[in-house]
Amino acid sequence: MADLALEGLTKTYGANRAVDDVSLRVDHGLLASLLGPSGCGKTTTLRLIAGFIEPSAGKIRVGDNVVSAPGRVLAPERRNMSMIFQSYALWPHMTVAENVAYGLTLRKLGRVETAKKVADILTTTRLSPLADRYPAELSGGQQQRVALARALVVEPETLLLDEPLSNLDANLREEMRFEVRRLHDAYRYTTVYVTHDQSEAMTTSDLVAVMNGGRVEQLGNPREVYDRPVSEFVARFLGGSNILKGTARDAAHVEIAGTVVKGDGAPLTTGTPAAISIRQHEIALDPAGAAPKAGVNNLPGKVVRNVFLGPQRDYVIALPDATQLRVTAAPDIDLAPGFDVTLRLPEARCRLLSR
Amino acid sequence: MATLDSTQALAGATVPTARTRLDLSTPVMVLFTAALCVLIVLPLGWLLVFAFRDQAGRATLANFQRLLTDPTFVEPLLTTFTIAGSVSLACGAIAAPMAWLVARSDMPARNAVRIIVTASFVTPPFLGAIAWELLAAPNSGLLNQAWRAVTGAPSEEALFDIYTLTGLIFVVCCYTFPYVFVLVANALERVPGDLEDAAAMLGSSRWRTARRITIPLALPALLAGLLVAFLQAMTLFGSPAILALPAGFHTITTKIWSLFQYPPKPELAAAASLPLLVLTVVLLRAQSAILGRRSFAVVGGKGAAPRLVGLGALRWPALALCLALLCLPVFLPYGALVNAAFSKVPSQLLTLDRFTLRNFVFVFSEVSATKLAMKNTFLLGAMAATAGALMALVIAYLTSRAAGRGHRVLGFLAMAPIAVPGIVLGVGLFLAYTRPPFVLYGTLWILLLAYITIELPAAYQQMQSAFHSVHHELEEAGRIFGATRLRVLKDVTGPLLRSSLVATWCFVFVAVVRELSAAVILFTSQTKVLSVLIFDLKESGDLAAIAVLGLSMLVLTALVIVAANSLLGGGSAARLRNN
Ligand SMILES: Nc1ncnc2c1ncn2[C@@H]1O[C@H](COP(=O)(O)OP(=O)(O)O)[C@@H](O)[C@H]1O
Ligand SMILES: [Mg+2]
Repeated sequence: MADLALEGLTKTYGANRAVDDVSLRVDHGLLASLLGPSGCGKTTTLRLIAGFIEPSAGKIRVGDNVVSAPGRVLAPERRNMSMIFQSYALWPHMTVAENVAYGLTLRKLGRVETAKKVADILTTTRLSPLADRYPAELSGGQQQRVALARALVVEPETLLLDEPLSNLDANLREEMRFEVRRLHDAYRYTTVYVTHDQSEAMTTSDLVAVMNGGRVEQLGNPREVYDRPVSEFVARFLGGSNILKGTARDAAHVEIAGTVVKGDGAPLTTGTPAAISIRQHEIALDPAGAAPKAGVNNLPGKVVRNVFLGPQRDYVIALPDATQLRVTAAPDIDLAPGFDVTLRLPEARCRLLSR
Repeated sequence: MATLDSTQALAGATVPTARTRLDLSTPVMVLFTAALCVLIVLPLGWLLVFAFRDQAGRATLANFQRLLTDPTFVEPLLTTFTIAGSVSLACGAIAAPMAWLVARSDMPARNAVRIIVTASFVTPPFLGAIAWELLAAPNSGLLNQAWRAVTGAPSEEALFDIYTLTGLIFVVCCYTFPYVFVLVANALERVPGDLEDAAAMLGSSRWRTARRITIPLALPALLAGLLVAFLQAMTLFGSPAILALPAGFHTITTKIWSLFQYPPKPELAAAASLPLLVLTVVLLRAQSAILGRRSFAVVGGKGAAPRLVGLGALRWPALALCLALLCLPVFLPYGALVNAAFSKVPSQLLTLDRFTLRNFVFVFSEVSATKLAMKNTFLLGAMAATAGALMALVIAYLTSRAAGRGHRVLGFLAMAPIAVPGIVLGVGLFLAYTRPPFVLYGTLWILLLAYITIELPAAYQQMQSAFHSVHHELEEAGRIFGATRLRVLKDVTGPLLRSSLVATWCFVFVAVVRELSAAVILFTSQTKVLSVLIFDLKESGDLAAIAVLGLSMLVLTALVIVAANSLLGGGSAARLRNN
């Protein structure tokens, strides 16, 4: 089976470590995504997997075979992989049908079989009426589907996608997101999906690798990564998180703005700088002086801003040391700026981060 | 990148059909680097050697001493600088406003003006100079005759005398200003409209915007254009050879040429070539320094379309001015050539009873060298264009795709001949290939080498920008779907580059047909080409034959270009453009 494994994969350009000691295993038939901001090394990783570039260190295995290692790179055309490029890379001098058929022609399939497969995939991707058009005559969404059809028709073992939805408008993006997952489930190849959009990664993947500066910061299923970010970077990148900085009191407690807060996660070292992350909607607001609750951290604060957004209210609250945090509350909780409040931070939601 | 397809060497590898396939890019790179070294280093090396030795072969500095003290060398040098400086300034003064009118104003027929200017590039400078002899020679010149007819001036008096320094400067200007025009017009077109809109919104008036935003942004292009004009004028051979020699003075290029007349003095010619070479290198460095800085940030930007400035009532006068100016390099000279070609007396205006085809009959059946020169020229043109375009293709592929060690060296070598003026290369090739191991002098091969070397930089630049316009992911897509490197070249890169390749081929072909300065050093009676034949006929004073040959040469060139485009150009070009 074509399990894909990256082992200590590294690519340097001069002093720049574009991909830095990345290890990752994707079991056959799973969809893994590489998630991270622009410039973090996602495309480079994907191009290493495809065999377009040679690693500076580390290995790539497919099943039992090493396909890439420094000085030894199996040519891309011999990897039985497919790729959807960020630019789509449709050949402008070939029609939609010719683009899709090209991979099959190279596999020396008979004319009849080729025609049948092309017709089938064009039907699946709703492109049949456009078969004789040139790429320049298609809309962005249509081009994206041609790229998808061209990649799928060769029945690859491994499918690589480089931000395939980033050129589409918001509606189409949402629709195609589910299309990618549906096709993956239908054909069951191993998929590596590159994106900078966390909701895209969350909704499509079995496995998420959050990348930063060429390294994998966290690897896990979407739920784990979302619920238990291991670093400030991951917490921030997955969005909606407040980061409260302080000093570790012991393995599970952090002193923040004069209050000791209990949290959950990997044990801290006493006396070191630490932080907790908590999402905006996990914090509750009560008027100042309300009774403390068990299992919940209670922090004093003052309302700075209160914006009504329809289904919710968006608060900015200042702690005594002037740290600001954002809280999403129900629309009927209406507290004026300057109002003193008690912030309720459930202990289980306070993720401990060492800094 | 070392692509080793055999994975059996890899730990635990059990890949089916593992065959070792050789990656050809490294050997090809080495081969081309070596070939370019020979092509460039050999002639320039001999040039250096000869410059520092005397006729007996002993090392000496006497050649340079003579160059700097003997007035017959110092004067041509000074004359050359006078010409180059004046031409550069005059070209700037004419081309910059015209470029602005074409690029940024609402002048009528802007595109037509632009096309005519670009087309005037095609005129070989020596042919232009001969046409201006027909127009403004003191006695027989058509313009002078017309002036005498109108004013009744006596026959010894002339309004214009083309056989003067001023006359030469004027003619060189006519065929140099398109360089400045094209550079400035392109730059002006790329000044994004939104920058100017921003200035306008801040309350800046239209002229102020032009002065503060547009002109500073186009200034680097203008400066670069002035340098190119200087360079062109400095290294030009054709026009000075036609006009300066009868006027009794030399430029440095005609001086170098005269050193090859009997008895040849190659040592002095080599020494006289070196300052030209050094200056060219310096000017090119200056130019790339100017263009390399801030200008490119804007030039690369994708802004709003440029805003056109309304000229109001001045629209038509502006066009009239442009057309009047275009009379000088285009309408008048070609009129004079057509007149001479079909007239019994080339120096008289064509009328019905003076009309004759006799000149054509004479040139094509009686001038013995015509057929040979035609054959040589078109054979060499086709061979140089094919070899040059293919070399440029491979080198551009290596430097832009197989980015490995050494590709910088290769790119540098391919661009290096741009710093070698044609006449200097001619001298170098003469010195290099009149002796073992390569005795090529007297064959067409030496001319072929010269043409390929001279045109390689332009061809390489064109192919390189063509490669840049083909996104590398298009090729990678071919690889990942199962095509080998070669197969991708055939199925994807090739078709996408075809129109650029044809354009490059045509470019080299045109350039070869009009080349004179290297050919005039390297030709022998059996390897005469058209440009040299015209130059020879000039010495015998047969202007009608020259007009016939010059016009035929242009017409035949145009036919070859049309044929090349319709055979190879492929209709795909139009389709690709709107992608
Ligand atoms: N060919 C290259 N040469 C030099 N640096 C490169 C090259 N390709 C990528 N990089 C650098 O590697 C880093 C990662 O790039 P990339 O993988 O494209 O990021 P992403 O796809 O996550 O946006 C960037 O800093 C980029 O500048
Ligand atoms: Mg990327």
